[in-house]
Amino acid sequence: MRKMAEALKRTCSLCMLFVALSVIAILAMSSAVAAQVVKQTTVAGYSPEEALRLGERMYRDGILPSGEPMQAIVKGDIPMTGSEFTCANCHQRSGFGSLEGTVRTSPINGAQLYSPLSRFKGVPLSRRSVAVQEAELFRPAYTDETLARAMRTGQYPNGKQMSDTMPLYFLNDRDMAILVYYLKNLSTGNEPGVTDTTLRFATVVTEDAAKADREAMLAPLQFYIRNWRISRTMERSTRTTAFVQEGSFGDLRTMSLSVWELKGRAETWRGQLEEYYRREPVFALLGGITAGSWAPIQKFCDDHKVPAIFPITDHPVLSANGGYTFYLSRGLAQEAEAAARYLHTREDLPKDLSVVQVFRNDLSGTAFAKAFQETWTGLGHALPEDRALERNARLTERFWKTVHDKHKVVLLWLNADDFPDLATLAMANSMPETVVASYSLLGDRIYGLPEKQRASVYVTYPYALPQESKVYRTNIEAALRKNAIPITNLEIELKMYSLFSIVSGPISRMRTYVYRDYFIEMLEATPDMSMTPAVFPRLSFGTGQRYASKGCYVVQVSGGPQPELVKRSDWIIY
Amino acid sequence: MPRHRLIPLLAIVLCSLCLSGEAWAGRDKTYTRTFENYEIPDVTLINQDGVKVELRKLLLADQPVLVDFIYTTCTTICPVLSINFVNFQNTIHRESGKARLVSISIDPEFDTPKAMKAYLSRYHAKPGWDFLTGSREDISRVLKAFNVFTLNKMNHYPVILLKSPFDRRWVRVYGLIGTSELLVEYEKVRQ
Repeated sequence: MRKMAEALKRTCSLCMLFVALSVIAILAMSSAVAAQVVKQTTVAGYSPEEALRLGERMYRDGILPSGEPMQAIVKGDIPMTGSEFTCANCHQRSGFGSLEGTVRTSPINGAQLYSPLSRFKGVPLSRRSVAVQEAELFRPAYTDETLARAMRTGQYPNGKQMSDTMPLYFLNDRDMAILVYYLKNLSTGNEPGVTDTTLRFATVVTEDAAKADREAMLAPLQFYIRNWRISRTMERSTRTTAFVQEGSFGDLRTMSLSVWELKGRAETWRGQLEEYYRREPVFALLGGITAGSWAPIQKFCDDHKVPAIFPITDHPVLSANGGYTFYLSRGLAQEAEAAARYLHTREDLPKDLSVVQVFRNDLSGTAFAKAFQETWTGLGHALPEDRALERNARLTERFWKTVHDKHKVVLLWLNADDFPDLATLAMANSMPETVVASYSLLGDRIYGLPEKQRASVYVTYPYALPQESKVYRTNIEAALRKNAIPITNLEIELKMYSLFSIVSGPISRMRTYVYRDYFIEMLEATPDMSMTPAVFPRLSFGTGQRYASKGCYVVQVSGGPQPELVKRSDWIIY
Repeated sequence: MPRHRLIPLLAIVLCSLCLSGEAWAGRDKTYTRTFENYEIPDVTLINQDGVKVELRKLLLADQPVLVDFIYTTCTTICPVLSINFVNFQNTIHRESGKARLVSISIDPEFDTPKAMKAYLSRYHAKPGWDFLTGSREDISRVLKAFNVFTLNKMNHYPVILLKSPFDRRWVRVYGLIGTSELLVEYEKVRQ
């Protein structure tokens, strides 16, 4: 009995020793990985901050610290430079890699590179015992030296050769040290608004937004956040598979939503946003609404690298550079550009066509006038005549006569209240041959056009036609009613459904690696959405693309008591 | 474990095997080469200068033609295809060869003539390399005709098609290749 007790005691001691050693080993490994990302005092003679800046320029723009483009060889025999494509092209800004067709580009963020990778799953071994046999590994963890060798020779730390799609870089030791340091620190910190249990979002509402529009944006969004959960299939699979054992999926998080109300003039918004963000940092902005320009909010987001997805605005920032804001479309400018392209391609109109634009001297009016003018003159036409009306100026019959006497085509960038009674104009013998107007400004007033005038009026329409999207609209309307969400502006509520469709996938998949750039890259990689045209015929994405719907129809209103919209153009993109 | 529970598990394991990045990247396959007969659709596309181009006329010209299918915001496949095209151009120019290179956009929503021109300029393309786009309907017809249509542009194929003016058949090269391999294929087509 005593022998048995002693044997048991010895076994227990051995077990304890084993557990203790394992814990020490695990701690040692974690600290080793953590130690890798601790900032050095200098890197190749630069401060760590400067080294990160220079490394980022190499990684994202392919430019060496000297200002020259990086040089490499790809596919064995093709010389290339950083001005053609860069590390970030394939590995993405976050370093989490990409999947395109059958070509998978590996994650190369700091944690991934400096961890061993399992043989079959290609994921970091962050939870499993460190006593993994070499044979079980796809590759051991990189060191600074083996990472530098990999970029020069295409060899993994264990000597295996990578795919030759990975370029081999000609880098001197100093430049290499900077790039290695950058990769070591890539996507390793903690993102604001993310805790172990919660993913925090906010939505920005400015006080100039109409109450009904604000509710239409907010009510579905709050419902979505309240009821969001990962799909059961995905939850089950991620709990039961090797992914969990290997630590590639973290715990499930709930989502929270704060409403950031901005009051007063736009110049004061920045201060208010900073205060909200200081009090409660968020991972990203979802939706949001303003009657004015989104520019101050975009600036805040770009400065803090906060993604903002599908704000409801007619006035997005028009830029070729992909910032942190994803817009549903280019807003009013998209309609004006389509009008210019439509008139340009009309064969019945003379090539030296003169046009006049009538608009209120406000944000919307000037947005239309500016975008039309730029596109129209870019197509080789003379400057249009601009007739800007002050806010309270009345539109008299005499005014219309002077407008149309000189021009065959009149662009009326006016809202429903301002839109002239065309019948009166016709009686005054001053009806232009072609009138172009905007659905975004006129709304359903276009259906009230006198029947005799419908043949002259062309309307820019940046959505799927109602008769084509009816089924989808009805379905979403039914879902809103079922969930007791008040329908105060259906157009906006449909747009919010587009938002939910695009963010759900990335939020579900982003578990352990919750990084903003990674989130953005997953949004960019979203397949085109053409099967749910509740509002737009197609939403399409891609790296750096920031305007999901890219075209516009020109329509007319059919005759008869129940008028329909009739396409007079294809979906105009260019 | 009930059998039905094994199915998703097996699917995930298979997916993980396919998607596991570095494991896959290390086993790069060589390319495949096949002869194909394609009926070029009668469509008019638009090039990087905004000029309308009849596709049949362009592809059935009296010089060798190389065609690929790319988009300007593509991450991996298109940069490698394009860098190969430009390197090929540089090489055959030295050998005073003549070939027409044609890239057809698979993202007509975004690839405007302006975007395509900027793309060609980024790769230092020489005259003789055209980038075409068109309406979604026309582009879909072209992609289906050449058997490269995918619902999601991210799933597109690394394919280069080569054709001699003296042969009805196309050579379809599937896989990312280097310039020396492309030159070998080009010489075979020319003979």
